[in-house]
Amino acid sequence: MSSAPVAANIEDRPRPVGDAGRAGQFVFVAAIILLCAWILVPLYLLFVNTLSSPAEVTGFPKSGLPSFSMGSVQFFLSFSGVGQALWNSLLVAVLTMVFSILLGAPAGYALSRFEFPGKEIFRLLVVMTRAFPLPLLALPLAVMFIRTGLDDTALGLALVHTVLALPFAVLITFSLFAGIPVELEEAAWTLGCNRLQAFIKVILPLVLPGIVASAVFAFTISWNEVFAASVLTIENRTLTAFLVQNLNVSPLHLKFAGGTALVLPALIFIFAVRKYLFAMWGIANR
Amino acid sequence: MKASARYLISTAFGLSLTLGVTAGAGAQVLFWSNQAAPIEETQAMREQVLAGFDGQVDFQTQEPGPFLTRLDAELEAGSGAIGVVGALHGELSNYTESWMDLSGLDLGVTVGPALLELGRLGTDELKYLPWMQASYVMAANVQALEYLPEGYDLDALTYDQLVEWMEILATETGSPKFGFPAGPQGLKHRFFQGFLLPSYAGSTVTKFRSAEAVAGWEMFRELWQHTNPASTNYGFMQEPLLSGDVWVAFDHVARLGDAFNQRPDDFLAFPAPAGPMGRGFMPVLAGIAIPQGAPNPEESQALAIYMMQPETQVATLRATNFFPTIDIDLPDDLPNSAQALGAAITTMTGSDDALPALLPIGLGDLGGQFNQVYVDAFERIILANQDIAQVLDDQANALRDVIDRAGAPCWAPDAPSEGPCPIE
Repeated sequence: MSSAPVAANIEDRPRPVGDAGRAGQFVFVAAIILLCAWILVPLYLLFVNTLSSPAEVTGFPKSGLPSFSMGSVQFFLSFSGVGQALWNSLLVAVLTMVFSILLGAPAGYALSRFEFPGKEIFRLLVVMTRAFPLPLLALPLAVMFIRTGLDDTALGLALVHTVLALPFAVLITFSLFAGIPVELEEAAWTLGCNRLQAFIKVILPLVLPGIVASAVFAFTISWNEVFAASVLTIENRTLTAFLVQNLNVSPLHLKFAGGTALVLPALIFIFAVRKYLFAMWGIANR
Repeated sequence: MKASARYLISTAFGLSLTLGVTAGAGAQVLFWSNQAAPIEETQAMREQVLAGFDGQVDFQTQEPGPFLTRLDAELEAGSGAIGVVGALHGELSNYTESWMDLSGLDLGVTVGPALLELGRLGTDELKYLPWMQASYVMAANVQALEYLPEGYDLDALTYDQLVEWMEILATETGSPKFGFPAGPQGLKHRFFQGFLLPSYAGSTVTKFRSAEAVAGWEMFRELWQHTNPASTNYGFMQEPLLSGDVWVAFDHVARLGDAFNQRPDDFLAFPAPAGPMGRGFMPVLAGIAIPQGAPNPEESQALAIYMMQPETQVATLRATNFFPTIDIDLPDDLPNSAQALGAAITTMTGSDDALPALLPIGLGDLGGQFNQVYVDAFERIILANQDIAQVLDDQANALRDVIDRAGAPCWAPDAPSEGPCPIE
């Protein structure tokens, strides 16, 4: 547009530094509020609608406040098998966590400390395991599981989830170990430790928070996985397999209640281990 | 912090050690179903229908994806956990070879001969028991009736009259009031396969791109002008009907029932409209089959027989809004949904111009792609407003491809064919 008169009005002298600082602070606070709202508003709506009666959920306008009608919640609590499914979900997620660390951390250590032929290809292959969609793999897996007796067990499902979580476990632990100078280990060797002792006494304490964080990551991957869980388990359903498939064809008020049932345990878990998550980012930033 | 991290890890190890490989629960029959999947229906099936069975039943519902994958896996492995399968006719017909012959079972009830014929799946054996049936109807808020033009009979409505009525309704009330389940979970493809095309072209496949079919799509495009635009988000029409966003809607009876049960005086059901070729409608038939590798065949058969008993069939109707397949008198105290929707179905199937269009038969696992052809046609013609004849020509090629790959012969209302069903 007509830029000349505007340009003439601009004062050609530096602004006080405080101005820029204030503007920066405003953007910073606005971004924080936006990020918090991004997470909290959907959760709030989920909880409010869970505690509302069916008529309020479909009705409009909405009050935005819960009326503490427990109908939807009660329906869920009485829905047979929810407790068992919750237990199965936990079991599978914990197993996945353990397996992916037991397999992933040594791989990450090897990648960060050793040069070996095919190292780059190995790193690529690890990520490749995520390249095949589960619906494609589920059929042959299920056939094999039925034949080997792994079918419908927490162990079998945890193995599948471990495959899904492993790339992340390997890559996260790789960056953890890479962030710790090899000189620390070498110093330990010169002071009389053997390789294993140096690892356990020097390296492990440093990476433990990060490892726990990547374990949490494996936990959430397993917790959220639906397709393999619903094909590979029958009586030992996980909560997602148990609920998600039925929920998306259920009335709105039950969708909200089911959503809460799925979100709440994960929220509690993440809350319990939050400091390890922060620890991981601290290390990754070093 | 380090200590608690160790604690967490050791707890994790401890947990994993305490778990053994969990074994199956023994004599329990697994009822693997993709019907009655909404969570309230699942609950009702467990508590009201299956509780009376003399034995243990585990009723599990699944979406089509995992449902079929699991079934495939068990049939391929030759053994598994599934004792009884409950699914639609079209899905059961994909596995004809895998089902146990049920013709020897003593049901003690009379099943309609036409339904039994479908249950044979073209063989000499009874491959599945016709379990329950349903269809699609129209539902209207009683307020909408005030705008119905003089002399129009709801029970004998034509599509042109419906368009006219909806136009009046939209103009008088200021916003479009027709609702159509065009959302991701909606059964829109069934409307095109079983209602629109049969009513206009007298065919689902053969005359897919005929001039008559074009006329049908033109009518639907006009109807779409008076359709609530939120329809592309609707899955179950009972919800927009209850919230008042929509006054007149088309859907599966099981997806309308809640509206009739919550506010029985506010809604009424009526047959789907008729086109130039008749009143096309699609019956829905669900069946019960037993896989040949079922872990406990006697128990499975006992359960299948139990599901066909009059009391069970009535209980199933109450739980799911699917109607009995056997010859019985329905009790008077049925829920409002069953009464209203049942009457509309009876009127529709018994009308003079009734033109039943079956669910797709013989498509195997290509059923999803078959549906996609109709959904794509809908999206291009109605949502993207493309030229109807051009779109139908394109989609006819896709349709021919699916039919040829499946080698599926024609099914009603198309005339029987030798080899794959042709598209003119």
